[in-house]
Amino acid sequence: MRLEKLPAAQAERYATLECPSFDTTPWVEGPPLARRRVAIVSSAGLVARGERPFRGREADYRVIPGATRADQLLCSHISINFDRTGFQEDWNVIFPLDRLRELAAEGTIGSVAATHYSFMGATDPREMEGAAREVATRLRQDNVDAVLLPPV
Amino acid sequence: MSALGHYIEEEGIPTVAIALVRPQAERTRPPRALWVPFELGRPFGPPNDPAFQKRVILAALRLLEAKAGPVLLADFPQDDPREVPDPRWKRPIESPHPNPPPQAGEGMGGGFLADALIAELAALAAPYARSCAARGRTTVGLSGLSPAAVADYAAAWLRGPPPDSPVADLSPVLGLRFAVDDLKTYALEAAITSDTRPSSRQLGDWLWNESASGTAIHALRRQLADSADDRAKLIATMFLVPGLRQRPGG
Repeated sequence: MRLEKLPAAQAERYATLECPSFDTTPWVEGPPLARRRVAIVSSAGLVARGERPFRGREADYRVIPGATRADQLLCSHISINFDRTGFQEDWNVIFPLDRLRELAAEGTIGSVAATHYSFMGATDPREMEGAAREVATRLRQDNVDAVLLPPV
Repeated sequence: MSALGHYIEEEGIPTVAIALVRPQAERTRPPRALWVPFELGRPFGPPNDPAFQKRVILAALRLLEAKAGPVLLADFPQDDPREVPDPRWKRPIESPHPNPPPQAGEGMGGGFLADALIAELAALAAPYARSCAARGRTTVGLSGLSPAAVADYAAAWLRGPPPDSPVADLSPVLGLRFAVDDLKTYALEAAITSDTRPSSRQLGDWLWNESASGTAIHALRRQLADSADDRAKLIATMFLVPGLRQRPGG
């Protein structure tokens, strides 16, 4: 997002929004992209139709099976201050599973994970730590070695 | 969501974040992040542009092969071409609803708006059905109610007094919030056609400035913002009308 395109007060709010800081940053390397298994861990509050939507600043997550179809996925992020029409038109704007499948089919990435995940990004990320580590365990069991982390 | 990158990579799995708000990624310092210049809600850019989306994904995933860490923040160079309005786009229904004066008496204004809302939803049924057929999906559904039930519930709030919740485990006000989510989605999806490429602003201008649905949601916000119930007030002010669409004095 280009903050300079927003009204000054709003740009200031986004620029100074509280977020956690970390003393160190981990760094793990892996094989070339063509051999990696890629998963999406979104923070868009994605839920399957009929599943309980995120209702507040909840720190849990939803499991999105790799076989999920575009007509099954809803966005229940609690903020109403971002565009939803892009997602309405094409789910890949938020959750690019079709693109990952194509990249795997053409050999640019190794494979697409069996399962993807979604958190709800308005929650304080520090509260998500336990759930995030649990997701990492599940990703490891699926042999994932590349995680794409899109916000919304 | 840059913080998740810390937690997941600490567990041994390489991550790359997409960052929409650059200063946040600068402060959180995840292992790798690609800043994108797109509007909030579009981390991979324009809808229905697979080639563009793929460039964004690959720009991010290629950071996984870089040896430049432990903190690598790169910028994606292209803007979203869909930020430009499409002059060919047309409103889903003609005869835009005239906005009633904001100071209209609550009873009279509420009933008028409730009728207009229900009539508009009926008029939008055909364009909505066409749009869904073209896209093969809908994102209406968070409330779990049918579109007609959503309109009836919002209309009941406009007519007053506050109705019971239509959903078993939701309070009436939270029920309204999810109903309004679906109402907005229904109207916006009706305005999306496969042969035009409107910007989000074009669609939002129609919803919030011209449609009966938008007018009704503005009125619900005003109505609940005056409520003595703090929770109702909070939900109304934060979760019905986007900040940039709120009107002065209401």
